[in-house]
Amino acid sequence: MGIESALPHIPRLRRYARLLTGDATRADDLVQDTLERACRKWSLWQPRADGSGLRGWLFSLMHNLYLNQVRDHGRDDAHEELDEWTEPAHDPLSHVPERLDLERALARLAPAGRQVVLLICVEELSYTETAHVLGVPVGTVMSRLSRAREQLRSLMAGEAQAPARTASLKVVR
Amino acid sequence: MKPQPPSDVQEAELHAWVDGQLPPDRVTAVTAWLLHHPADAERVRAWQAQRHALQGLERDVLDEPIPLALARAVRPRSIWQRWSAAPWAQGIAAGLLLAVGFGLGWQFHPSVVSVAGNGVPGFVREARVAHVVYVPEKRHPVEVDAEQQAHLVQWLSRRLGSPLKAPVFDAQGFHLVGGRLLPGEAGQARALFMYEDAQGARVTLHVSTLDTDPAKSTGEFRFARWGDTQTFYWVQGALGYALSGQLPRNRLAELASAAHPQLMP
Repeated sequence: MGIESALPHIPRLRRYARLLTGDATRADDLVQDTLERACRKWSLWQPRADGSGLRGWLFSLMHNLYLNQVRDHGRDDAHEELDEWTEPAHDPLSHVPERLDLERALARLAPAGRQVVLLICVEELSYTETAHVLGVPVGTVMSRLSRAREQLRSLMAGEAQAPARTASLKVVR
Repeated sequence: MKPQPPSDVQEAELHAWVDGQLPPDRVTAVTAWLLHHPADAERVRAWQAQRHALQGLERDVLDEPIPLALARAVRPRSIWQRWSAAPWAQGIAAGLLLAVGFGLGWQFHPSVVSVAGNGVPGFVREARVAHVVYVPEKRHPVEVDAEQQAHLVQWLSRRLGSPLKAPVFDAQGFHLVGGRLLPGEAGQARALFMYEDAQGARVTLHVSTLDTDPAKSTGEFRFARWGDTQTFYWVQGALGYALSGQLPRNRLAELASAAHPQLMP
């Protein structure tokens, strides 16, 4: 099995990166960096019997690269910080369809919460796989998931107090 | 304030219920709990809706063709390329090359020494990439399906600027699924026909227009393998064909032999 077996995973990596970064160009750059790192580290990858390991491994490579970016820039550029969250009632875009609301709500989560929600809901990884990808205990995954879901719900319901409760969230491993 | 479920049902179990990750022996207990705790049921319903909506975001990306730069990033490199890419190896490599060159009196021209799939024509590499990307595709393996075969062939012929044919493999047990238009390495138009047998095994026939002089084409089959994907390729007229599949080599050869006479210009 060679590095070309990563090919079928590229579309999902692209979607995940796009939802994670909120920017199509930055997302493809992240995928490119991930694939290049995968090429260099290919000999370190241990295939699992069911072939499921490769996707998780690619996600964890991407996670580490993304984490470096967030650290280097102090925050993720394409997204507003929770602290900068403004009253949605005054938002001229508040009448747009639900899809955009969700995307905007997602963009306002802390990166760590966004990752957990995307890996579990969109990529349908198990809690254990998610913990493995992010390099954190399962308990941390569960608490981030719980917090991120409640934040999304409050943000979409227009509950102004939600971000204040979570503004101190930091990217932690 | 978040309602605090008592110890018999954990908060984590409510999430697991939504994500389908609850152990089977807990499903009944959690479901019963939700029936009696409307506030929790309401939260769970919201999470479910959220999960469903999230899955709909950026779905289109999944059906977009993979950008060339990304597909190229995972193109297998020959041992030679990988080895020579390492800076420390370059000095040794140069020395070794010289030694081998002197020793053998340059009997081996570099282009003849093909290692690990290196040295196949560009159109064959494109064909493999297309094969690996589209064969596992369940929802959109082709752009135009076989029901519109006449339109498909006409369209692809027009885009490639050469009359194409979709060979028939009925006798070999494969039927046409359809086809799609693809970009080549330098942005040229390429055609891909996909076939499937009764067991769902798929083969692709990738067609490229070549710049080479048609008179030079020998028409002989060549064989290459890349992981578990095997490819027979040949040149007929001004077109390069690559037939790829995860089939036993003799089965694929049978298909290639059946295609050849049908594709006579």
